[in-house]
Parts: sequence; structure tokens; C-alpha cells
Amino acid sequence: MKKIKGILITLIMIYVATAILGENFLGGYNQGKLLERTGLYGLLAIGVAFVIITGGIDLSIGSVVCLVGCGVPWLVMRQGWSPGSAVAIAMVVALCVGLWHGFLITKLKLQPFVVTLCSLLIYRGATRGLAEDQSQGFGGEHEAFRQWGTEAIEVTDKFGIPYPFVILIVVAIIAWVFLNKTIWGRYLFALGNNEEAARLSGINTDRMVILSYVICSMLAALGGLLFILNGNSAQPSDFGNFYELYAIAAAVLGGCSLRGGEGTIVGVVIGTAVMQLLKNMINLVDWLKSHMEFLIVGIVLLVAVIADEMIKQRVRKLK
Amino acid sequence: MKNFLACTVAFGVFAFSGCGEKKDGKASYALVTTGVASFWDICKKGGEDAGKELDVDVEVLMPSSGDDQKLKLEDLLAKGVDGIAVAAIDPINQAGLFDEVAEDSILITMDTDAPTTKRQVYVGMDNYDAGWMCGELVKEAIPGGGEVILFIGRLEQDNAKRRRQGVIDCLLGREKDASRYDAPGQSQIGAKYTVLATLTDQFDRAKGKANVEDMLTKHEGVDAMVGLFAYNPPLILEALKQAGRIGEVKVIGFDEDEVTLQGIKNDSVYGTVVQDPYEYGKRSIEILDALSKGNTSVIPENKFVDIPARQIRKDNVDVFWSDLNSKLGK
Repeated sequence: MKKIKGILITLIMIYVATAILGENFLGGYNQGKLLERTGLYGLLAIGVAFVIITGGIDLSIGSVVCLVGCGVPWLVMRQGWSPGSAVAIAMVVALCVGLWHGFLITKLKLQPFVVTLCSLLIYRGATRGLAEDQSQGFGGEHEAFRQWGTEAIEVTDKFGIPYPFVILIVVAIIAWVFLNKTIWGRYLFALGNNEEAARLSGINTDRMVILSYVICSMLAALGGLLFILNGNSAQPSDFGNFYELYAIAAAVLGGCSLRGGEGTIVGVVIGTAVMQLLKNMINLVDWLKSHMEFLIVGIVLLVAVIADEMIKQRVRKLK
Repeated sequence: MKNFLACTVAFGVFAFSGCGEKKDGKASYALVTTGVASFWDICKKGGEDAGKELDVDVEVLMPSSGDDQKLKLEDLLAKGVDGIAVAAIDPINQAGLFDEVAEDSILITMDTDAPTTKRQVYVGMDNYDAGWMCGELVKEAIPGGGEVILFIGRLEQDNAKRRRQGVIDCLLGREKDASRYDAPGQSQIGAKYTVLATLTDQFDRAKGKANVEDMLTKHEGVDAMVGLFAYNPPLILEALKQAGRIGEVKVIGFDEDEVTLQGIKNDSVYGTVVQDPYEYGKRSIEILDALSKGNTSVIPENKFVDIPARQIRKDNVDVFWSDLNSKLGK
């Protein structure tokens, strides 16, 4: 609870401010959309949190989103695959992507930044080649399949809990249990704090690092799938561009340290919600101009990180 | 080391010996687009068809950004093409670059002009007029007047600015003046029509859709939404569908995305304004070929080869769509 206090207060403050200043912010439709967006981006953020906790980084998330987001409709609409087999192959590809990153980082001792930066270029380039730079989508077909990204569990007439958010909650619970209640979770934190010490104490650190990249790529793939099911339109040259940065920002907002060894799943989900809430606020509050989006998001991010660091330092002194 | 140097020199001589020569003695021309989109695929087809007819080589390059466009143009100069037709991304700041290209090769602009440069002619339409035509469609869709919101990829490029201004000026019943520019953050209020806002998404589709959703929240009573880049109308439709408000809010589009055309057929989109990218590509190559043969009569006095936009509604969507498919060989 202590770890997420700062970000939770930030979320509540922005929420209340937008409720007062924005138009129809509290309406069921808008609340549903906020949950939907938190669900979509949150999956990417939880994925990258695993990698960040081990002290690594994954810059290829946006390109994996692109690969799956364009690849699945391409397989279904242009190659005549069934949605089920297209999703299955997408997940297998994501698994291989994660294994490949982990292999290069642990066995060839390459730096995560470099490995995933190359991947960022390779997967986007491959997708553009595969799809011949054509926009991908399901047209008006496969409505039942697309429901995973568009439908909601109805609560009232205007408000429902969107499936992407339900999926996020399920993933978040599994991730939380894994990190906090299993020995592997402890290994991940130990590894992030001090890899050498972790290895000397008998932890198979290579295996844990590979596992974190696999989780990250597979969640990016799941996110990419839900993004295309939700929006139904993807252009290989720009789909998912910079999404890794949104994911990393949300993870950092949520208390992950880029030095490794720190982070909470609840914090990451709240961090994602803050990012989405900010964007929503900029659109709904009249005097905030949309071209100031990056400025506002950047400042809030910086203030939150500074506040978090100051709280931590005070806690250390008190100890 | 000596061997290495010798190899390098030999390779360099070999590589550069190809410079400036055409592989099959044919003239070669290039089309350089502003980015990657289905719109440009149609343009490419037009250019390639002209290339076949004239028996010349045509290369189509689709850069990913303004910087990339600069690199692509420089590469073309290095290769020594006979002429280039470019769609300007940022006409004012790219002026120096375009002048440089115009000195070494034949340069014309298509789709988006760069009037202050040494380009010989502009092939395209007037985006302000096309925006105006889009405004007329809005008026037809909501004849009693109402509130309108515009969605567009970005406003940094000249064609986007003019297109948007055309819609606004038409709706507000102003005199035509393409140099006018209303700030995007403010509402433009006219006697019958109000343009509440213009939202940009910088080509991020999830953001484009979120913009529509946020506007449905903020302005529940909005009467019409206009998508001014090809991918905007489909995103508007998707958001309206998920909100259960198809038909309630009128949709007017720009360009010929399949989802937009299908929307016109099934009444979820009132109409769209289409350019003729096929003709942009075809005419550009024809003009470049004429110019490289010294025939300057292809340049009109105002240096503007007008390929006007068209309005597509339910009554002509089928004819337009089948013609488009036949051009694309579908």
C-alpha cells in the first residue's frame, strides 16, 4: 500500500479535477471508455514491468503490437485462416520473440536496450513487408471474434465493464500472485536488485531473465490483438508506434524502478489509468489544448516521479 | 591491410561506375509520397501505368517522415533520375531542399504544392476547394444547421490546413479566402453551423478513435462528425457503432477508404470527397517525361494542373467504387 500511495493520490486528484472541470466526465459511457483504454494499454505496461523489475528494458513492444495487430487480420482476411488459428500462431510467434530476446541477452550477453531496439525495427519492417504496407482490419466481418475487444459486461444502460478491462484484471491478478506469492517472483526481484548475488545464491538467473522477456512479449501480443479487435484499423507503418514508451511510463509512474528490483502490479495498473485519464482530461476540459498533451503528460510524469523519490528518501531517513 | 584497401577501392570503383547510368537506357522518373497509405498505392498504380505507356522506368518511394523524405530525395539525386514528382510534407521548411533538387533534376510537385520553390508545376487539386466541397456535404446532411466536429491526422501540413479551412469557411458562410486560418483550439460559430473543435491524432489510430469517443462524451448533442484524413471516417464509424449512435450523428468523410465507401452504401456515412490519386501519378509521369524531352507546353500559365476533387454520395458510390477497383486491378 505504501508503495502505491503516491500514484493513487495522483489518480484521485486528476480524477476529481476532471470531474469538476470536464464535461460529462462522470457519464457511464466515458467511464466505460476509460476502463477500456486502461485495459488495452495496461496489458503492455504489466508486461514491461516484469522486464523492468529484472533490471532490463523492452523497446520492441510497439512493434510486437504492430506485428500481431496487423498480422492477425492479415491471416484471417487475406489468407483465409480461422481467427482461432491466427491467434494461436500469433501467440507462438510472441513466445518465440520473447525466447529470442532472452537468449540474446543472457547467452550472448547483449544489452537489452540494443537487442530490443533492433527488434523494434525488425518486427515493424517485417510487418510492413508481410502486409505490403496495406491497412489491415476485419471490414464488417468476424463480429463475434471482435467482441473480445469491443463488448462489455453491462451494468447499467450506459455503463458496462469492457472485456479488455476484465482481461486486464485477470492478467493483473495472475501477475500479482506470481510476483508476490511464488518463489519465482522472489527470484525476479532478487535478480533485479543484484544479479550477481542472486546467481551466487543458486538462482538460475538466465532462466528468470528469459521468462520475463517471454511474459513481456506475450502480453504485448495480447494487447496488440485487443487493440485491433477494438479499433479495427491498423496501418503497418504506424500502428503501435511509441506504445513501448507509454507502457514504460505507466510502469515507472506505478513505482517500477529502471534500476530493477522494484515494482508493483497494482501500481502499474494505476499508472496506466493515470496516463489514460490525463489524455481524456485534455480532451474534455475546454481550456486544455490538445497540442499540449505531451507537455502535460510529461510534466505530470516528472512531478510524480520526483514526489515518489522524495517520499522514499524520507522513509529511508526515518528508518 | 593492403588487400583490404585494394578491395575497398575496387568495390568503390565498381559501385560508382554504375552511377548516373540507366540500367536499360530508358528514362527514369520517381514519385515521392508524403507517407504510406492506400491513397498512395492508387497514385503508384497511375504512375506505373503511365510508365508502361511511355516505356520509361517509374520508381515510387513512400517515406516515413519529413526527414526520411529528404533522404529519399537525396538518394534519387545520387542515382541520377531524370525527374521527380514530390508531395511536399512541409512546403515552407523544405523549400531549400526542393530548390537543390530542382537544380540537379526536373522537379514538380503533386498532391501538396510548394509554391515558393523552383518546382516547375503542381499537379493536384486545391485542398481548400475540396474542403469546401466537404462542407457542402455537411450542409446537405444536416440542412437545418447544427454542431460539427472535425477529425484530422495532423495540421502541420499545408493540404490539411487548407482542407480544414475550406470546410469551416463553407459552413460559416464566409467569402472564399484560402489564406485564412482559424486556430484549432477554438470553436468557430456561424449563423447556422458551429464547428466545435478540430482534433488531431498524429496518425495514432487508437488515439484517433479515443478522440471521437471523448467528443461524444463532451458534446453529446453533436450533429455531424467529419473525418478529413482517409482513416478518420472509419474510426468515427467504429466509435459511433460501439456507442450505439450510428445514424444519430451524421458522418462525412474524405478520401476513399473501403469502410467509408461501404458506409455510404449502407447509409451510415452521408458522403465523401475524393481526390484522384491515380490521375496524380499518371499525369505527373507524363509531364515529367514531356519536360525531360524539352516540351514545356505542358505547363499552364498559373503552373497548376488542376485535377478536381469529386463528391461521392449514395447515388454515385457504386460507379465510383467499381471504377476504382478496375484501376487497381481488383
